[in-house]
Order: sequence, then structure tokens, then C-alpha cells
Amino acid sequence: MIEIKNITKRFPNTPVPVLKGIDLKIEDGDFVSLVGKSGSGKSTLLYIISTLDHPTEGEVIYDSQNLKDFEQEEIYQLRNHNIGFVFQFHYLLAELTAIENILLPARKAKEVEKRRGFAMELIRIVGLEGKEHRFPGELSGGEQQRLAIARALVMEPKYLFADEPTGNLDSVNGKIIMDLFKKFNEEKGTTIIYVTHDIDFAAMARRRINLVDGVLE
Amino acid sequence: MMFLSIRQLMARKKQSLLILLGITIGSAAYVAISGMMLGFQTYILDQLVNNEAHIRISAREEILTAADMASYSEAAHVFWEIPPSGRKDSTRIEYPLGWFKKLDADKDVAAYSPQVVAQVIFTQNKITKVGRIIGSQYERQLKVTNIENYMKSGSFKDIGNSGNRLIMGTSLMELLGTRLQETILVSTGSAQPQMFKIVGTFETGIKTIDEGTAFVSLTDAQKLRNTPSEITDIAVKLFDPHHASIKAGLWKNSSRDKILSWQESSAAVLSVFKTQDIVRNSMTISIILVAGFGIYNILSILVNQKRRDVAILRSMGFSPKDIIKLFFNQGMILGFLGGAIGLILGFVICVIMSRIEVIPGRMSGPGNYMIISFDIIIYIKAFSIAIATAIISSIIPARAGGQLEPMEIIRSGGQ
Repeated sequence: MIEIKNITKRFPNTPVPVLKGIDLKIEDGDFVSLVGKSGSGKSTLLYIISTLDHPTEGEVIYDSQNLKDFEQEEIYQLRNHNIGFVFQFHYLLAELTAIENILLPARKAKEVEKRRGFAMELIRIVGLEGKEHRFPGELSGGEQQRLAIARALVMEPKYLFADEPTGNLDSVNGKIIMDLFKKFNEEKGTTIIYVTHDIDFAAMARRRINLVDGVLE
Repeated sequence: MMFLSIRQLMARKKQSLLILLGITIGSAAYVAISGMMLGFQTYILDQLVNNEAHIRISAREEILTAADMASYSEAAHVFWEIPPSGRKDSTRIEYPLGWFKKLDADKDVAAYSPQVVAQVIFTQNKITKVGRIIGSQYERQLKVTNIENYMKSGSFKDIGNSGNRLIMGTSLMELLGTRLQETILVSTGSAQPQMFKIVGTFETGIKTIDEGTAFVSLTDAQKLRNTPSEITDIAVKLFDPHHASIKAGLWKNSSRDKILSWQESSAAVLSVFKTQDIVRNSMTISIILVAGFGIYNILSILVNQKRRDVAILRSMGFSPKDIIKLFFNQGMILGFLGGAIGLILGFVICVIMSRIEVIPGRMSGPGNYMIISFDIIIYIKAFSIAIATAIISSIIPARAGGQLEPMEIIRSGGQ
């Protein structure tokens, strides 16, 4: 479970805080969409929950352990083993093939061979079978994003964070991505928290959190 | 991170190859130029150190001054109409036995050879040539110098202890138009000329020695000068030739004889070597610097180009250290490969150069081939320079990469 207590975030040279004393609990296996207008602070909240950003005030607690008490190395371990990220841009490494991109987190954990079979299964699940040795440049936008999802899931993380994962895709590809999220949430029990502007995609979540001017509605 | 570093390098083949080429040429140039210059220097140094004495003690040369003339007491009633002037040349070591005792007792002295060195005129029929003879006891002389290594015909021992036998440089023999076993006339100018039989020849490769020097026995030289039992020089060999300068300095404090270390007598040559070293190092550093800037530029551009990759890697749990390694490895691979290929290329160039025939006596070793040094230190230095360049030029951009914060990159849209 992730618990967020009284999170406030201010940026330098900005008088108004982006997030104002947010309290939130995300249960294991939850499927949560974060919605709100541009500048409402939803992406900032996602990155704070996912350890990539730090709150100005407040606490983020992972399974009763405060992130403030984590050593840097423990944070890196947490990201590597328990957290998967999907961004609006796929952020695939152009020099690596599809399967090599998927196995990047496993490379950090020194589990490449152990995870190779699962990576191939993910390739099949995300519909890229036969394209595992292609480079990202040889794939379509939708395929690239599906590849990024496979990479985020290769370590079988407990949490998957996604920041506008369908933002750059057409509705068909967007639907495919959301279906994949749902599938992993239901079948693998992955806790999924995603930011979206799309009302339909937001509605696919089991729980919808609406942010208005830095506070939960 | 090595896997990813190699992949990124391979993705920019042209740039990587250009930098690799720069480091390769730099290392190869260092090896080749050093091999040539140090080969030449080692050969010349060997001759300077081992053909002559490490320290030469010779009869002092003093210039008479007005003050010297004033040393007579008034009681002596010495009055000069024209006071003596010019060089006060003893032409002999005043107290050789004292030197022999001192040298025998000195633990740093490996051997010494009393000598008579004199300027002479060699005459063969109507041909005359000015040169010098060195009279010595061959047993002692062979312990002091490696002249035996340069014998072209006969043995140094053939000068014997007497009997007017002579060994001369091949060039001198050619200039006199004489041959082995023939006799020539040797004169000091002040005493009666004497006949000497040529029993051997040598060739050191140093023109001034080969064209103007002959070796005879100590007794024969003393007879030629008409100065029996006198010596003009003592050639001293130390266990460590590099201490010659210090040792000579110490001896100078306690003697009025002229004492010269090989470093002092070869100062001009040594300063040429220093200049050569400066030129060699400057050239190599220039080439390597260009390659170093290449690495620096490419990695700096790469760090900027790969900001998105850094963000995603950090989000996957890769640490700033991993990111530093990612970029640093690339510089190191280029340095390591460039250095290694440069060493091989440099070695091949050296082997080719060592097979080039040159005019005898000019940078030539045995067999008249160019002298090339294959000293392992050259290769270690060349490789170290390549690696050091890679480290220095990689570390700054790599650290800049390590300091990139994923959130800053993501907020800026990954640009």
C-alpha cells in the first residue's frame, strides 16, 4: 500500500504551491486514474508518489516505510524491482532492439537470462511477436508505446505509474494500451496509477482521482 | 553498463572511428618517434658512457695570472721584465699513487685505467694526419671501456704491454691509406717519431673517434712522449654511471687535477637529447590532445543527446554512478582500443625502421641498420598517455551525465 500524507509541492519562483496538503491511500492491486486540467498538479503528484520527485512537505509511505528513511541505493532498488514507468514519450533506447529494451531493467538487476522467457511472453502479450529484434525506429508509435509497457512490466513490479500513456496515440492504439493495463491489473494484480486527459480512458479505472488546483476534489 | 556503452559507440561508427584513429595515430607516433629517438640516444649514450670513462681525471690546466707571480717573497728578489703568462700545463698527474689508493678504496669505483693521452701526428709515406693516441694497460682499459665490442679486426689485447703495436679507427686507417700489419710513423712533435705496427682496427660509429684515435700500450705511449712513468689521465668506471657527476663533484673538492664526469664532457650532446625529448613529447601531446578534445566533444554532445535515455534509465533504478559509467566507459573503450592499436602500429613501424639501412656511423647500429629502441617503457608510456587522455576527457562529460536529474528532463519534455 502507498500512503501519501499532507503532500505539498512548491516550485522555485512560483508563489502558489502546485500541490496543497494532499492525503491519499492507494491499496495494493488498485487501478487508479489521476485526472484534472493542465497545471492541476496531477503529473507532479504521480512523480512524487513514484519516487522520481520530492515533496516540499509531507510524506510518502510504501508498505509502512517512509521514503524519507530510505537510503538512495534503496530507492534505486525500489524503482528497479517494484516500480514500472510508462511516459507519454516512449523513451526507448534507439540503439537497442525491442527485446533488449524490454530487458534493460533486468540488466540492472543482473537478471537478464532469468527474465528472458517472461520478456518474450510480454512481447506476445503486447502484440509484438516476431518484432523482438527490430529497433524502435522500425516500429509504429503504438508499437513503441506497447514496447515501453512491456519494458515497464518485465520485472513484474508491484506498481506501474503511467503519465499520459495514450497522449501521443490515436484512439485505437490508446484503447489497446488501456486494455493492456486492465489485463495486467486483473491478471497480475499490478497496482496501476495513471494520469490522463481522456475522459473515456479515465473511466476505465476502478478509482478516479480528480485534482483541481492542487487539491483533491 | 558496458553493454549499453558499446551499443552507443557502435551506433555512431563514423565519430567513434575518427576518435579511435586520433588516439591510434597519437600512440603510434609516440612509439615510433620515441623508438627512433631513444634508440639513437641509447646508442650514443652507451658510447659516451662506455667508450670513454665515466670520470676522467687529467693533468690540470691552469692559466697564469699576475697574482701567481706575486707569490714570490721579497727575499727571493725575483723581478720580471715580462712576467710569464699563458697556460701552466703540468701535462701529467702530479701524484698518481695518491689517486690509485683513493680509487682502490672507493666502493663506487668499478675499475680505473691509468692512461697517457697525447696529441700526435700519424705519418704514412707522404700522408699525415693529426690525431691522438691513448696509451693504457689493456687489462685495465678493457675493464673501463667496452672498446672490445667495437673491434673490427684483431683484439684490443694485441697492443700488449710494449712492442709498439697500435690499434686505430677504421676511418683513420683509410685516411692514412694504410692496412693491417703495416707500420706507420707516430710523432708527438716534441720527441723522436717512432714506428708502430697496426695490429687491429675498431669502429665506434663516432666520426671524431674513428678518424682520429689510436690505442697503444701505456709503456709505448710513455716512451713516445719521452716521459717514462708519467701518466696524463686516469679513466674511472663507476658501478653506477649516473652517479658520475656527483662523484666528480666530490673529488673536485679535494684535488687540483682536472676531473670531468661523462655528463660534463657530453653536456652538448645531452642538451640535444633534452631538446629531442621536448620535441618528441610536444608532438605526441599535440596529437593526443586533439584526440582528447574529440572524446570530450563527442561525449558532451552525446550526454545532451541522450538526456531522455538518462531519464528512463534513472526511472528504472539505474544510479547516477551507472550513468557516469555509461559515458565514461565509452571514452575508456576508445582510449583502450586506440592505445592498443597504436602500440601495435607503432611496433610495426619500429620493426620496419629497424630494417632500414643507413650510412655507417650515422644513427646506425651493428650491421649499419637504423637503431630503434624497443624499450617496454616506451610502450607503457604510450598506453598510459592514451588511457590518461581518455580518462581526463571522459570524466567531465560523464559526470555531467551523472548529475542529470530525471525530473528535470521529464519536465522539459525530454529535450
